[in-house]
Amino acid sequence: MAAPAVVSDGLSKRFGSVLAVDSLSFALAPGTITGFLGPNGAGKTTTLRMLLGLARPSSGSALVFGRPYSELDGAALQVGAVLEATDFHPGRTGRNHLRMLSRAAELPDSRVDEVLRLVELDVAADRRVKGYSLGMRQRLGLAAALLGDPELLILDEPANGLDPEGVRWLRDFLRAFAAGNRTVLISSHVLAEVAQTVDKVLIINRGKLVVESSLEQLTARVGGSVRVRTPERTKLEQALARERIEATPINDHTLVVHGASSERVGDLAFAAGVPVHELVAEGSSLEDVFLELTSEPQQ
Amino acid sequence: MIAQTRAELLKIRSTRTTLGIVLGMIALILLFSLLSGLLTKAPNLTSSEDQRGLLSVGSTAGVFSALAGIMLVTSEYRFGTIRPTFLFNPRRSRVLAAKLAAGLLAGIVFGVVGEGLGFAIGYASLAGRGIDYNLDAAQTALLLLGALAGVALWGALGVGIGAIVRNQVGAIVGLLAWGLIAENLLFAFVPSVGRFAPVHAQDGLMGLTSRHLLPAAAAGAVLLAWTIAFALAAAALAARRDVS
Repeated sequence: MAAPAVVSDGLSKRFGSVLAVDSLSFALAPGTITGFLGPNGAGKTTTLRMLLGLARPSSGSALVFGRPYSELDGAALQVGAVLEATDFHPGRTGRNHLRMLSRAAELPDSRVDEVLRLVELDVAADRRVKGYSLGMRQRLGLAAALLGDPELLILDEPANGLDPEGVRWLRDFLRAFAAGNRTVLISSHVLAEVAQTVDKVLIINRGKLVVESSLEQLTARVGGSVRVRTPERTKLEQALARERIEATPINDHTLVVHGASSERVGDLAFAAGVPVHELVAEGSSLEDVFLELTSEPQQ
Repeated sequence: MIAQTRAELLKIRSTRTTLGIVLGMIALILLFSLLSGLLTKAPNLTSSEDQRGLLSVGSTAGVFSALAGIMLVTSEYRFGTIRPTFLFNPRRSRVLAAKLAAGLLAGIVFGVVGEGLGFAIGYASLAGRGIDYNLDAAQTALLLLGALAGVALWGALGVGIGAIVRNQVGAIVGLLAWGLIAENLLFAFVPSVGRFAPVHAQDGLMGLTSRHLLPAAAAGAVLLAWTIAFALAAAALAARRDVS
């Protein structure tokens, strides 16, 4: 396997008494799109800031292409990143925002035109950013990250403020980007936003890594459930219990059955002589798994 | 370093902030130069020191170049562009050095415009009122070059102040409170100390001799030392502080 694009080793950040990021270790393989997931306040942005040299780890290390970000030569040619969708001077035009960055990275102004076309912002490029919609700002941020044609793209909550069309555009874009053996790390607090985009997920909660797996593995953890409506709920519950099948009553005549297929539940009901008025297989979503993994432990 | 300086110069030019600061400077210097040139009684404009006072009004440009320097750093923190700036150039001391260079270059422009305007109005007022010009060529050169160097250094000093304080309002209020109030009080009550403070060092640098000001060469060295001290403090802090 090629050397990982990013290696985080025991990365931690402490703010006073709060351990915002707690011994986070992971590696990103080239050519993959990784979703960095967790509820708001889980430590995602703090982790990204440490990866990108904006914040210093309290302990541990983060290496990008084998070196701390702050020691990269030509950082913009290797890594493109967007942390906030609002990092623009409102009185500066989109084009000048990109120009000032391309100058710092010694890139030609023609590259500015290229990325403006790429994110479909060329028409608005000479307007001041204060007149941009949130979606346009997201795309301008992405254009800035792409200026140096980087090998690694790190985006913090890129789908915020995008309309469905924009989300799809971003997904297609990231797919094409990673197809060239380039690496993407995108954070989100909504799994559904990235589920169709990512190969792999890192889920953190309260600064700790709770899951590192491929999207398939995560999907496999999703247990389906079956919702049954019957006038004889208790009788069905007893029949299921004999087979050690777990079920949760929703109301007097509705039951949600876990860990059994709809066929099995239907057969059991028939065998027990329970009339069934409705039988619905409910695929519990990835989102349910995500919420379960990241929910606060009950005190 | 040169590439980053070009980027910083574009930042200065690409918003209307700088234009606003320049227009403010021109308005203020126009007003002060005309008021002192036309309303001061003729006997109070005859000595060489009186004339230096009149002809150095344009050095008020230093306040404005310092403001431009402050804005060059603090707007980046205010609007968050500091993040892309540091992502593109993670060596923070180099970014700071480029900003200091850009502040100095902008300061030269402020100095040429501001002192040029102030000197022209002052000189024209003297000539128009038939008051003999009392400064020789060397004194005039010291006045002009001292004003220019001082205003330019204030541009870099503003960058240092901005990089240390980071908060825009805090840095501007701090600059004005010190430059317009605190330093004048210090100089009035303890001139032996106050003459080492930056605004009065700039006065000395232009060859102003009144009261207890430092001689020009020493004053220039003191103002340069202030600029370097602020730059070093800013660099030390920039290396340590997290960017939110």
